[in-house]
Amino acid sequence: MEATREIYWNIGHGVVIPMYLLTFAALGVLAWGFWKRLPVWRQGKPLDRFDRYDERVKRLISTVLSQCKVARVKDGGIPHALFFWGFLTLFVGTLIVMLQADFFTPLMDVNILKGEFYKAFSLVLDLAGLGAILMLAGLSIRRFVMKPEGLETINDDRIIHQLLFAILITGFCVEGARMAATELQQNPDLARFSPVGYVFAHLFTGYTDDSIRTMHTVLWWTHFGLVLGFIAALPYTKLRHILTTSINSFFAPLEEKGTIATLNMEDESQEQFGATKVTDLTWKDIFDADACTSCKRCQDRCPAWATEKPLSPMKVVKQVGEAAWSAPDSSLVETVTADVLWSCTTCRACQDICPAEIEHVNKILEMRRSLSLMEGEFPGDEVRTAVSNVEVNGNPFGLAFASRGDWAEGLPVARVSDGEEADILYFAGCYASFDKRNREVARSFVKICAAAGITVGILGKDEKCCGEPVRKLGNEYLYQMVAQENIELMKASGAKKVVTTCPHCFNTLSRDYRDLGFELETEHYATFIHGLMESGRLTLAPEQKRFAFTYHDSCYLGRYKDILAEPRAVLAAAGGDLREMDRSGCDSFCCGAGGGRILAEEKLGTKISEARVRMAGDTGAPLMVSNCPFCLTMFEDGIKTGGFEESMRVRDLAEIVAERIVA
Amino acid sequence: MKALLVCEYREGKLLDSTYELLAFADRLGAEKAMFLIGSDSALPACSTTVYLADAAKHGEYNPDVHKKLVLDAAQRENADCIVFVHSSYGWDLAPRVAAALRAGQVSEIVGIVDGGYEVGCCNAKMRRTVVPKSGKAVLTIQAGAFSSSDTPQGTPRVERIDTADGASPMEFVGYEPAEKKDVDLTRAEVIVSAGRGVGKKDNIPTIEALAKALGGELGASRPVVDAGWVDHSHQVGTTGQSVSPKLYVACGISGAIQHLAGMKKSDFVVAINKDKDAPIGEVADVLVVADVMQFVPALTAKLQ
Amino acid sequence: MKILVCVKQVPDMESRFKPDGSGTWFEEADLAFRMNEYDEYAVEQAVQLKEQLGNEPEVTVLSIGPDRVNEAIKKALAMGCDRGAHIQDPAPQGKDPWQIASIITQFAQGEGFDLIFTGMQSQDRGSAQVGVLVAELLGFACATTLVGFAYADGVITAKRELEGGIKGIAKLRLPAVVTCQLGLNIPRYPTLPNIMKAKKKEILAIPVADLLKEEAVASTARFYPPARKGGGIVLEGDVGNLVEQLYGILKEKTTVLR
Repeated sequence: MEATREIYWNIGHGVVIPMYLLTFAALGVLAWGFWKRLPVWRQGKPLDRFDRYDERVKRLISTVLSQCKVARVKDGGIPHALFFWGFLTLFVGTLIVMLQADFFTPLMDVNILKGEFYKAFSLVLDLAGLGAILMLAGLSIRRFVMKPEGLETINDDRIIHQLLFAILITGFCVEGARMAATELQQNPDLARFSPVGYVFAHLFTGYTDDSIRTMHTVLWWTHFGLVLGFIAALPYTKLRHILTTSINSFFAPLEEKGTIATLNMEDESQEQFGATKVTDLTWKDIFDADACTSCKRCQDRCPAWATEKPLSPMKVVKQVGEAAWSAPDSSLVETVTADVLWSCTTCRACQDICPAEIEHVNKILEMRRSLSLMEGEFPGDEVRTAVSNVEVNGNPFGLAFASRGDWAEGLPVARVSDGEEADILYFAGCYASFDKRNREVARSFVKICAAAGITVGILGKDEKCCGEPVRKLGNEYLYQMVAQENIELMKASGAKKVVTTCPHCFNTLSRDYRDLGFELETEHYATFIHGLMESGRLTLAPEQKRFAFTYHDSCYLGRYKDILAEPRAVLAAAGGDLREMDRSGCDSFCCGAGGGRILAEEKLGTKISEARVRMAGDTGAPLMVSNCPFCLTMFEDGIKTGGFEESMRVRDLAEIVAERIVA
Repeated sequence: MKALLVCEYREGKLLDSTYELLAFADRLGAEKAMFLIGSDSALPACSTTVYLADAAKHGEYNPDVHKKLVLDAAQRENADCIVFVHSSYGWDLAPRVAAALRAGQVSEIVGIVDGGYEVGCCNAKMRRTVVPKSGKAVLTIQAGAFSSSDTPQGTPRVERIDTADGASPMEFVGYEPAEKKDVDLTRAEVIVSAGRGVGKKDNIPTIEALAKALGGELGASRPVVDAGWVDHSHQVGTTGQSVSPKLYVACGISGAIQHLAGMKKSDFVVAINKDKDAPIGEVADVLVVADVMQFVPALTAKLQ
Repeated sequence: MKILVCVKQVPDMESRFKPDGSGTWFEEADLAFRMNEYDEYAVEQAVQLKEQLGNEPEVTVLSIGPDRVNEAIKKALAMGCDRGAHIQDPAPQGKDPWQIASIITQFAQGEGFDLIFTGMQSQDRGSAQVGVLVAELLGFACATTLVGFAYADGVITAKRELEGGIKGIAKLRLPAVVTCQLGLNIPRYPTLPNIMKAKKKEILAIPVADLLKEEAVASTARFYPPARKGGGIVLEGDVGNLVEQLYGILKEKTTVLR
């Protein structure tokens, strides 16, 4: 007997018209639901996220089908991915059945659902359904029994879990009933290819054929009704994420990570800067709220949240959505609160892990722009002073600008502004120029370059703060002022290449300054030193001084620039035995200084720097190595205030390298 | 040269700064006469003429009327210079007198140099020599800059002055007492003060620990108090408390003049500052050039 | 009501000062300039009063000096002043407080100001004279060193900072001059829309010669760094050694270590 089955068995082909009508009705409800959301999204400002179409489509398909972003967090992510694939398989199977029954058979008289293919089809669908049920059970236990900390469960979740269970179980019941009346008796061999259906069929074996048929009819319509309910409920429940979260992969930002819109300061008609109300954000920012699944991964990773500060990136995203729906004219900044906004270190851990491509950081920055540019507010008076200092003296310390180049006295450093030439222009930044501890880093870097035969030039007293901290505090105006001055000086210097020892300067010069017409090649010293070693210009002598250490990926070198391997390679070549922290690489935990927080006192919660030093201590290594003056400053502080002076030291990569140069 | 020295009187008391005026006039080698709007019961101990007006009638702060009385005394004495203390009373009244006389005023004199007066400028980082070019001069001297080791003595010859013209667009309402102090720095034997150089509020306990280790009190400079790092009751300086401990340790205090004026009378001054050229170095017996947050904990540890 | 705020642009006090060629003032190269801190409080108080009176008063900000002082004027305009007056003087340091006050007075006489705000002193010259002199020359009431300001019905209630934390309260009738002490208020940070608006505000440019009618009554003969106090020891070097050295000195020279 051939392996196939009668579609619409017991239901009859007369069902086709009402079935399609009902399906269209459900799809209509779905469309209506999203249609009604459209004007809410469109309250946001325009933003082109339909450019680079092919790239976006590819990204959409690959991200959704592979579930790669979801599965990055194993707990919850793996079952979700497996469930997704199971459910998707069932969906595709149903489509094939639909095509067969309503197109191939009536229009072409072709039956593909037969023979070996049908056997495989049956088996795959059964296993997919089983898998989906098991994963759903796992997810339900996680959500309703284990209740992970911070995971918020709302009615939607209960309804969705129950609905999905009901769909899957009724599906198997329909199959079981059909098999009990047909395959089990007529073609038991084929029944083996529906193992789950086979089990379910035994629920019906004691009944008469008529009873089974009645039960089948009731179950079929129930299953069908539930599926229609599922479709119709999509826009009105968290189920909407199936569409919104997926589509957000299409809308994902394609520009370089960390890109912030450069405001046009010349446009004097502009009266609104940054986002005070939700309507000052873009439509994508509002859409993001609909794409959020409350998976709280952002919150789990947020250094501010982890140290008892009021910021939860997830909550901010939700507040944007709530404002868009219920209070588009009220002050979003007030709803979110200044304390929340100032708590962000812009470390990007939230955005990096988000499976929904939500852009947390720029929302916060746009609201900070409102606080800073529209209200003249700061996280504290110490920041106000620091910002004024940047304005007057070009550095946050308020030290005389004329002394900026003093650190280089007695070192082989050319002053390019005086017309002296050099192989590279070293943009030292404020900390390496003025901060005593970080001057060691600047000196080490110059020593390394000298050993490699590279001549170093600096701008000296003419260099100004790159503007990164003030920009991240929302002060775009001051940022552009200092940026323009730096850009003109660097252009005029005749330099071919700029190297920084600060990832914040590096990000700013290599990305943000591009919007302002700066084109010089800019590199961070970690990759620069790595290059010198690769090309054989720099040789280190690791043998005598092997050392154990743990490496801290600064956010702006790691997560923002994906420079993870080179600094590790350099330190390995220097004789270092690396003991990784649990949170390293793209999962690294901020030092607490990003987003302009380096200028602010940490008044809320506990100290981020101490938390990170503790993590470093857990590796057993007595030394942490960083690549950023802010990190170095924060950890020096955290080691002192946290009482780790006996067990931990922090040093910069350049210091380690400089000590191990083979002359 | 004749100098009219304008004494200060507040809440029924003659202020001690009166004797700094005498010391200055002696340094100047001038003939002295004094001026006081006060009362017979609080006359300065000296043997010069005192032009005395009645504070009960003319008020302790009534610059328009006080100006007229000073001008009257100056005319009667034919004074070449009229000298005030550079205080809230002096810097308020002196320019009014100078304007009336079209006289040159030299403010906040810290020394007498050849051909003129030495004054501080640029937040006490620099000095100027200023020369009055008018026939008469109005001078204000920095509080604490001139003092005499002699115990003041003598009985003044009182010349009464008065005016019937009490018209003024200003009315003095009264005093508001200083905020309650939880610490009396004026009696402390050791004071360890924090300045802006300590960096941040979180570092204040480190300074406090040193104060404790030395058995002293915590003091602070004005910026630190203004920033809210330390309560105002700990402020040392002209607007805080004037102190005279056996040991004064200034941590990260650059030495604004208002601060220096409040701690100059300390017996022994140690300054810890990373800037070798900070003005605090001028009054310090020992200047430790170091990072405050590195040095202070180390010193505290040593003391313990 | 018409309000005048007088501001000075001064070097940032963190700068390193050295005498200029004449030896009577500082060399300007390598100095960063900003608004005199005391004057920032004056600007803020003037703008607060303007706001209190429903934006009715017109606030004029005046500064004397070379072109760079326009930066200070623009900042005041961005903080909320309505118009600027730049008294163009390439070398204001050559004029004594009496001349500066007379220049301001000349300007103010034609304008009919009711109230003039300024800082109690400049951070660079620190004479604390100009405000009071302007009041005397104009015949205005004057209170100095304000740490509190209130205005109602033509009367100012001024809280003056006296020595030792005591405050003196006085009431002044308009017209008046008040000079502001640090801490009087919290000077606002200009918002970007206000910075933009400030760019369009009028700044009068008046050559100083048009207003200067007076001769100087005092002059600066010399500008120089202070002499170090004799006997002061300077300790430098490693922190550990410094601690030992200081400990030794304290033991020897003071009685506080037992």
